[in-house]
Amino acid sequence: MAMLILSFFSWWYGRGWQQVARGFGPRLRGVMNAFSVRQLLRTLFAPWRRIITYPGASLEDRFRAWGDNLFSRVIGLVVRLFVLFAAAVTLALVALLNAAELVIWPLLPVAIPGCIVAGLII
Amino acid sequence: MSELIDLGTARAGQARLSKAIGRTGYRILMVSGSMAAAAAVALGLTSGPRYLLLLAALALVCYLPAVWWKRQLAVLPPTGNDLSGRLSVDVLARLKPGMIQQPQSVWAALSDHWQAVFFLNHLLITKEVVAGQLSAEPAELGQALQFAIQLADQNKSPIIELGFVVAGLLLASPGMKQTLTQLKIQAGDVEALANWLGRNVVETPGTEHHYGGIGRDWAFGYTPLLDRFGHNLSLGIAEHGAHFGWVANSDGVLAIEAAFDNHASAVALIGPDGIGKSTSVQALAERLIEGETGPTLAYHQVIALNATDITANAKQARDLEQIMLSLANEAAHAGHVILFFDDAQMFFNEGPGAFDASQILLSIIQAKSVPIILAMSPDDHQRLKAKNHSLAGLLTPVMLQELPEGGVMRVLEDTAAGLENRHHVLIAYEALREAYRLSGRYEQDEAYPGKAIKLLEQAITHSDNSLVNAASVQQAIEQTRGVKAGNAAPVEADALLHLEDNIHRRMINQAHAVKVVANALRRARAGVANPRRPIGSFLFLGPTGVGKTELAKSIAATYFGAESNMVRLDMSEYQQAEDVSRLLSDGQQESKSLIMSVREQPFSVVLLDEIEKAHPNILNLLLQLLDEGQLTDTGGKTVSFKDCIIISTSNAGANTIRERVGKGESLESFQAEFTDELINSGQFKPELLNRFDEMVLFRPLQPDELVQVVQLMVAEVNETLANQNIALELTPAAIQKIVEQGNDPRLGARPMRRVLQRAVEDTVAQKILKGEAKPGDKLTLDAPDLVI
Repeated sequence: MAMLILSFFSWWYGRGWQQVARGFGPRLRGVMNAFSVRQLLRTLFAPWRRIITYPGASLEDRFRAWGDNLFSRVIGLVVRLFVLFAAAVTLALVALLNAAELVIWPLLPVAIPGCIVAGLII
Repeated sequence: MSELIDLGTARAGQARLSKAIGRTGYRILMVSGSMAAAAAVALGLTSGPRYLLLLAALALVCYLPAVWWKRQLAVLPPTGNDLSGRLSVDVLARLKPGMIQQPQSVWAALSDHWQAVFFLNHLLITKEVVAGQLSAEPAELGQALQFAIQLADQNKSPIIELGFVVAGLLLASPGMKQTLTQLKIQAGDVEALANWLGRNVVETPGTEHHYGGIGRDWAFGYTPLLDRFGHNLSLGIAEHGAHFGWVANSDGVLAIEAAFDNHASAVALIGPDGIGKSTSVQALAERLIEGETGPTLAYHQVIALNATDITANAKQARDLEQIMLSLANEAAHAGHVILFFDDAQMFFNEGPGAFDASQILLSIIQAKSVPIILAMSPDDHQRLKAKNHSLAGLLTPVMLQELPEGGVMRVLEDTAAGLENRHHVLIAYEALREAYRLSGRYEQDEAYPGKAIKLLEQAITHSDNSLVNAASVQQAIEQTRGVKAGNAAPVEADALLHLEDNIHRRMINQAHAVKVVANALRRARAGVANPRRPIGSFLFLGPTGVGKTELAKSIAATYFGAESNMVRLDMSEYQQAEDVSRLLSDGQQESKSLIMSVREQPFSVVLLDEIEKAHPNILNLLLQLLDEGQLTDTGGKTVSFKDCIIISTSNAGANTIRERVGKGESLESFQAEFTDELINSGQFKPELLNRFDEMVLFRPLQPDELVQVVQLMVAEVNETLANQNIALELTPAAIQKIVEQGNDPRLGARPMRRVLQRAVEDTVAQKILKGEAKPGDKLTLDAPDLVI
């Protein structure tokens, strides 16, 4: 029994704590993948779903096509920026939670007797 | 004596605790922890912090062990290279400290685990059989564990899984080896099962798949027309999570990727049917949609186009052109589409469901606006080269090679796992081996692994109590190909053992010849003969009309089920050198060549009459046929003769046989001398005579045998008359008269049928027409009744 308890503590303050720290990267990567962050950054100014107008011969046609395509790019930019902002917020939250977990983790086993003692005293 | 596996380590203790907690304990801890946490909040708010703190402590007491179990105890990572540090939690938890460590006790502890059951089920053995064969000798366990370590290393697994230990126990035990041999299971099969298990246990967990996320396609165009006419393989994979495992990194897939990376506009994926062209493209689609490729192709989607769907939507040829161009334009505009033309020959040919889009494809490929993959067979690639050289020149060829046996078995194992789930059956490992063996032998037109998979799928309908075994596969091939693939069943074995009797029901005497042939056929059926050569090859030598052709017909009827299972060629029609091409024609020029006949009817007697008259080139061809069991047609396709019985007949030396038998010599006594004569006289080359399994000498029929021949012929007439319910009988004098009239020393019994036709059949016909013979009558004809 004593050996098992020792095993628990050695894991908790050793490999277990390491796992929490190592979990940081995959979680952040998961968020970035889910929000397609790399793709969105790479195509930030690309027209939205390639909805574009091909320019005609006349100057007026060219100007109109340029305007249409600029509009498509602006739409794309706005949508992407919005999603990137959401991704940034989520990343921040995940990072914060992870950091909190990393800090709180070593305190949890100690918290058990702490809570009991404090609860009995109060 | 120190034990092989140290069960006193902390890791072993953790394994036992892991088993004691189990999944159920983990859930109880999590629920209790959550309830305590909820109660802590609720009571904390209403009754003060004391309860909050005490219940929070209780929640932590539940949560912390639960977290420990989930992250550490349930997986128990390896802690070193020694056995105790590498054995899986399942093994360590099942072995009790203090137990005597020997194969029997270890098996008793492990045999209920699913990985042990996996072996038992797929090898079709019971755990009692294994228990009965394993030794109680502790030293033998060391060898078993050594095998287990090897298997773990082979599978690149740091953990020694329970299945590897089970395989080790089976492989190390001499008693078990003997039992497995009796069950026709080889050590390689046990290893293959361990590797199959290893692939599933070692690779599956922890493999996460990402398909690009929410904004993957926002920079690419819409594809409404392609969605209508095509099938988006990539989205199918992302939706259903299909995984192609090692195929995604196979040479073929990487070659296609490399071709596009090198700016190829179109790839011709070349390989015979069944080699896995479609699977390779699907595996490529998986790589692309998971973004595993370079940035040029990342998140591209493979859309398969079907010629039939396109033609169904086009009323005129112009519509087809319009649709094709629109599809290509849409794909080019979308910017992330790879067009895949499966069965590409359908886009180059005329005919039902096909159309010639080669010119349209040429212009699309020349424009280099959209990457294209065209899957085709090597023949179709050659045809395309001949027909549209410029289009073929624009294609980057990627040749798919047939997998070696190990690769095919791996595909079969993975396929079997899917089939077991889908059809709720158990597929024994012997069924996989048999599917590989029989598809290789009988399915010449397809490549591995496709043909083996197809056969395995067909075998499911022949499962016995949801078990697919070797017999199921044999039944499947017997049904689809009409071949005798299984071990001789009791009734059939009896028929084979009495083959001579069956043949003698239709043949008179020639006991020596019949015995020689029957022995050879029994050898072939029992699996003793060489499977890479024809079932049997015989050279029948003897005078005309002594039963050579009749024996060939009897073999066709007895062995292949019907006299019609015979391909007969008169070799006197093949006396010129150019006649070789007539024999080997693939059907384009010659409608009924030897090759075509055998392709249509692969299970037959091939009777080559008067072989000595054929051109020497044709005899050389016969050498190849007898040696390799196959010939190649003029179109380059091989045809197997491995399921044929080759019989060549010849009258060469007939006079010698007649003379020596006339002097009272037995055939066996002068066969060797006779063979020398045939070689010395230049009638046959020694290399040809050596290739035949047997040279069979036929002796001239004696007068009493001719009487029996007549009786057989009368029996045949009676079979015909049975429809009219009339029976025919000949008196001994009548039979004698027919024998005298029909016997010709030069022509043997051959004129007998003509005489019988004239004398008996004509007489009977007249009697029927005159009304002298009515249904129910028995006609008896005497010598004077016969007008010859």
